[in-house]
Amino acid sequence: MIDFVNVSKIYPNGTHALENVSLSIDKGEFVFIVGASGAGKSTFLKLIMHEETPTSGEIIINGNKLSKLKRRDIPYLRRHMGIVFQDFRLIEKMTVFDNVAFAMRAVGESGATIKKRVPYVLSLVGLQDKMKNKPSELSGGEQQRVSLARALVNNPEIIVADEPTGNVDPELSHEIIELLNEINSMGTTVLVVTHEHELVREFHQRVITIDRGKVIADNQKSGSAGYGDDVYSEYDDYEITDDEPADNYGGDAYDDDDDYGELPQYPDNVVIVPD
Amino acid sequence: MKGFGYLIKEGFKNVWSNRIMSIASVCVLISCLVLTGSAALFSMNVSKLVDEVGESNETVVYIKDGYSQLEAVYVGKEIEKVDNVQSATFFSKEEAFEQYRDTLGDSLFARIEDRNPLPDSFIIVMDDLSKYEETVAEIQKIEGVDPDTILNRKDFADKMTRISNLVSVISIAVVAALLIISLFIIANTIRATMYSRRFEISIMKSVGATNAFVRMPFLVEGMVLGLISAVISTGLLALVYNGIGLVIENAQSIFDFIPYTSVLPYVLAAFIVFGIFVGFCGSFMSIRKYLKMEGNEILGW
Repeated sequence: MIDFVNVSKIYPNGTHALENVSLSIDKGEFVFIVGASGAGKSTFLKLIMHEETPTSGEIIINGNKLSKLKRRDIPYLRRHMGIVFQDFRLIEKMTVFDNVAFAMRAVGESGATIKKRVPYVLSLVGLQDKMKNKPSELSGGEQQRVSLARALVNNPEIIVADEPTGNVDPELSHEIIELLNEINSMGTTVLVVTHEHELVREFHQRVITIDRGKVIADNQKSGSAGYGDDVYSEYDDYEITDDEPADNYGGDAYDDDDDYGELPQYPDNVVIVPD
Repeated sequence: MKGFGYLIKEGFKNVWSNRIMSIASVCVLISCLVLTGSAALFSMNVSKLVDEVGESNETVVYIKDGYSQLEAVYVGKEIEKVDNVQSATFFSKEEAFEQYRDTLGDSLFARIEDRNPLPDSFIIVMDDLSKYEETVAEIQKIEGVDPDTILNRKDFADKMTRISNLVSVISIAVVAALLIISLFIIANTIRATMYSRRFEISIMKSVGATNAFVRMPFLVEGMVLGLISAVISTGLLALVYNGIGLVIENAQSIFDFIPYTSVLPYVLAAFIVFGIFVGFCGSFMSIRKYLKMEGNEILGW
């Protein structure tokens, strides 16, 4: 479904965001993408969404080479994907219903279809009773579920979630991933970028680890052995040896501009240790 | 396009939610339209006047001071002998005085009644107006004719045409400048709307809205601004035109203005086409930039 063949991305400022990445994600898979801030995760998602184009290499989605994609066809590629953002990106002045309906209107769906489909999708995420509420009246977890409903409403084949639990309470993070898991069980491919390793461990799914633009680990889904139990898990955490804040780890809020800046160098007081 | 009604509605909503900038755009566009309309109507009236004058081939010849009416009649006989003169009708200074008094009112003339300053004159009709210059030159040679005071409405028509041309040139310059300002202001208004809706634009693009779809509400907004300006301008021009017409007609009644009602449909149609065109172009200019951007670039993050 998604194939990266020797993909590299160098930004105009010289930052090597991705280097020679090759991987393949099959239809119906659930994949966690993990890595430190500035590792290249966001670039990875932008390349999939065709917000950025690779400097070299080829990306193939549903058998279509993105390098051959015409500009006018980009929107149709994106209709195969639903995007979930860390900061929800809900429109404050619109109700929950309208926020979800907005995604359908944007692709030109008729009013009758919208009226039927939106309540159904909101019921899938458990928000059928909050349709008339404004986003500001909802909790962080609920807002993210609205964002998820919006991503789902056009029936995409792929859900791309960029740090979906970054702005919700830890106890609700599990709930969001669980919801994504359920969506995945219905056949939708799900890509989740996250830095919450505990969460990743719980869900025994495929985990791709990116570090400094390279895929350094790709541990396939396994029934019993979860993330953290196998050979690649040594990269999944960093131990901090003194009081230095762990900002470079990516555990802080939003790291969107990470691909544009210099790749972080781990300070001397950070050592990578096996679990 | 599916969801067309929704897009139109969004366009109208944009105008309202961004009303301060909308009012600014409409005001500038109105100035542009009213000035263009005024210049066009002025030209139309001048053409009408020139046509009317051209159709009448009467020329007035004044007789020098000190000539008695009898002597003047002899001068008239000489004038009639000139080639191309069809007729020369005597118009006494008393008749001229009466005519002016009727036109301009009694009060002005009451004080000078006993010393009429006007000369005797002949109204000459020519056979062939193309020989006008030669004929006038011949008449000027006649003893008793005041050569400097041959009054010719054709001269007047020529003068008016020159003024009209000058007004056209100035109008074109002013309208061109206003057009550029209008485009700039509308483009800025739309840019402000796009900025305030950049969040929505980024979401639209991320869910796969086509550029045509993203563009539509903003084009509608620009065109609505153009349409509003066109309608207001048509009304405003009526006030200006009828006001000026009234002042001029009160001062002298020799010329009938083209009535505004007869040109109203054309003015309205032209304004609507022009207004919508400017609105469309202004919007189009600002949207291009946004459509080239992706994701967080749109949000400026």
